[in-house]
Amino acid sequence: MMSGQLFKRTGLLIRLNLKRDWTKILIWTVTLAALLTAIAAKFDGIYSTQKAIDSIVTTLKTPAMVSLFGAFTAKAPYTTAKIFATEMVVFMAIIMVIMNIMLAVATTRGEEDDGLLELVRAHAVGRLAPLSAGVAELTGLNLILGVLYGLGLQLSGMPGADAAGNWLIGFGLAAMGWLFGMLTLLVAQLADNASETTMLSYAIFGVMYIARMSTDVSDPRQTWWIPFGWIEKMSIYQKNDWRPLLWMFLFGLICAALAATLNWRRDLGAGFLATRQGRRTASPFLAGPATLLWRESRMVLLAWTVGNLVLGAAYGSIFNTIGDLAKSNPMIKQLLGASALAAANRVIVKNFIAVLAIVIVVVALIPAVQTMLKLVSDENKGYLHQLYATATSRWHVWASYTVFALVEAVVVFMAGLVGMYVTGLTVMTDPIKWSTYWQVFLAYVPAMLVMVAAASLLAGWLPKWRYLAWVWVLYGFFSLYLGSLIKLPVWAKKFTPLGFVNKVPIKAIDWSTSWWLLAITVLILVLASIGYRRRDLAQ
Amino acid sequence: MTAPLLKISHLQKRFGKFQALKDIDFEIYPGEVFGFIGPNGAGKSTTIRVLLGILKANGGSATIFGEDVWEKSVDIHQRIAYVPGDVYLWPNLSGGEIIDLFLKMNGEHHSEKTDALIKEFGLDPRKKARTYSKGNRQKVALIAAFSTNADFYIFDEPTSGLDPLNEQTFQEHVLQLKSQGKSVLLSSHILSEVEKMCDRIGIIREGSIVETGTLAEMRHLTRTTIDVQTVQPLSELATLPGVHGLTTKHGENHVSLAVEADQLTAVMSYLTTKQLVTLTSTPPTLEDLFMRYYESPNDARTADGK
Repeated sequence: MMSGQLFKRTGLLIRLNLKRDWTKILIWTVTLAALLTAIAAKFDGIYSTQKAIDSIVTTLKTPAMVSLFGAFTAKAPYTTAKIFATEMVVFMAIIMVIMNIMLAVATTRGEEDDGLLELVRAHAVGRLAPLSAGVAELTGLNLILGVLYGLGLQLSGMPGADAAGNWLIGFGLAAMGWLFGMLTLLVAQLADNASETTMLSYAIFGVMYIARMSTDVSDPRQTWWIPFGWIEKMSIYQKNDWRPLLWMFLFGLICAALAATLNWRRDLGAGFLATRQGRRTASPFLAGPATLLWRESRMVLLAWTVGNLVLGAAYGSIFNTIGDLAKSNPMIKQLLGASALAAANRVIVKNFIAVLAIVIVVVALIPAVQTMLKLVSDENKGYLHQLYATATSRWHVWASYTVFALVEAVVVFMAGLVGMYVTGLTVMTDPIKWSTYWQVFLAYVPAMLVMVAAASLLAGWLPKWRYLAWVWVLYGFFSLYLGSLIKLPVWAKKFTPLGFVNKVPIKAIDWSTSWWLLAITVLILVLASIGYRRRDLAQ
Repeated sequence: MTAPLLKISHLQKRFGKFQALKDIDFEIYPGEVFGFIGPNGAGKSTTIRVLLGILKANGGSATIFGEDVWEKSVDIHQRIAYVPGDVYLWPNLSGGEIIDLFLKMNGEHHSEKTDALIKEFGLDPRKKARTYSKGNRQKVALIAAFSTNADFYIFDEPTSGLDPLNEQTFQEHVLQLKSQGKSVLLSSHILSEVEKMCDRIGIIREGSIVETGTLAEMRHLTRTTIDVQTVQPLSELATLPGVHGLTTKHGENHVSLAVEADQLTAVMSYLTTKQLVTLTSTPPTLEDLFMRYYESPNDARTADGK
């Protein structure tokens, strides 16, 4: 029977996938469900008075906040629950998307690259079974998370929350995650290896995120055109509109169906974007571990640099809307006078830059940490063994990866600031000077270096625990992106070096902090290099 | 004799509780091809990785060119070439690029010899490594190794993915190295290959070297198989010392037996007194030798060779 031929032993493969992924799945579900529930439970305390709620509403209505959290659509009377929905949904959706892309790549192209899929397919297993096992795994995971979110919100009992809204948030996030899971499965059929799949998937997500930001600021109705924007359209705790979920479901379904069609047609190991022929001999430039790493990672670096440049440019393009108090209040110009008004406008934009710096920093940390951990994954894949059989020292290889990662963090961060500066320059009548961005740059670089150095330390001493580097970056993102809105205590922000950085450009750089962060970087790097030289490499 | 080029004594390596190498002891001399054989999981690759400074030994010592393999790995690697059994290559680099990269990392360059080797092994150097088969990946590593001007070559099951034609090419090049006075460590499961090329052989099992020596020396330790037919009955044969596995064959007074090397003279003179009709003797092959060490877990030499 045809369907038997296509889907045979899907169940067995699902069990196999779960066996492989259960730790990852457990960590993701527990962390995310606990995070959302804990924040919801805390919200009552943060925004308990009507006065606190009204003041945050004014903030959330500003273009700066709209660009970060989505258009503010809640109607009066404002409740704690409505504030929660506005602040949390886009943020949680970002995390859901990241989780789904990671798992979807691992279960499709990851398996295929490792040659495992070939072994599996040689057995009495249907042609589409591996893909459908992936679909089932992602569907199950998102559903479970949706239920946990719903339950968590029910338990938290926020003022103004209703059951329909709680479940809508839960299943809305699940549906958005699922949509990107399916989209990644589709991308996995187009690209012909795991790293390309990851890059393409994040590129699609990045484009959608930036597109929704600009439509949210200019004309929120246009956000309907962007699948990622549907998450903002659920009218939670008000009309509780379930239609966006239908759209997400349909979009995901189309992606899954396309993925299945392409998967059924293509050869194992092949993609629709075929690998081109390479050079006959190496260029004179390719001569050691550093240039080898450059040769391998230059496209990744370029992609992240351009990505952060575009993100920064997108933020910069709304500086004129944000920094124009007169727009919302024509009287203010007469009250303050032109020069005082310009100064006030600049303060608002600088405030916004201080918040955005976190996003730009975290985006720059992602490729840097990835490169640092590539030192371990290249070792596990066996690429480095032959390298070490040549006259190349451990120190040389370690230093190549580490320096590349540190430079990557700095370059990608700088690209984001340049993007912001250039578009800010074109749209603003009274633009922010480059020296302001330079201050931001100087302020954050030492803290970023500490985080990359820590990833290097894990690669040197505890390669099995290398994923802790991601946990740290994610925590940094969470604690600073949401920290002040959910009134995270100061000490909780100081679990990452990013939390020690002054709110530049509103405040001045704290040079003593910068210096001791740099000192810590050097210390960690020394330890990391010792560890990497002493340990066994993977078998 | 000259000083050994490689010297391993009482080498030990532990992975957690598992003792991968218990007692590894052997030497390789200049101009020698050393065969390294043993069952899967016996510790061949682990030994080689310790030699390459990829793993750090827990005990004993290993030196190449008189230098410690861990401390002086870079100096040592300057003068060696290595081909692993499973070759993993950077997926988005072409074979040609990788060959050049390996050469450069030893301070050498793409030469005419490299081009000749690429042609001889029949490799398409423009393909990305992602698209190569196992055999082609091995060719990339082999071409890089043979075109390196090293003093010591380490091959860890290098021909497992090659077709017979390329295997032949490989053997020719190893013999060329030998004629140039280079040393080679060849770990292999293809015993005919080892038998053909190696001057001395080391057999490893369960993390210990159980035997080293030339093939002739090793043969001496085992039994010659004799198939004999005589005119007179061979009634006392079973009682002679050093006789094993006596089996009656088709025909009158026709038997086959295995004789220990040091009892061969005595057994042969007994047989001649019984008036020979036919006699064939077969020296033990490496395979026979090998099987003995594989099969008996405790002491290979006391076990019966049936």
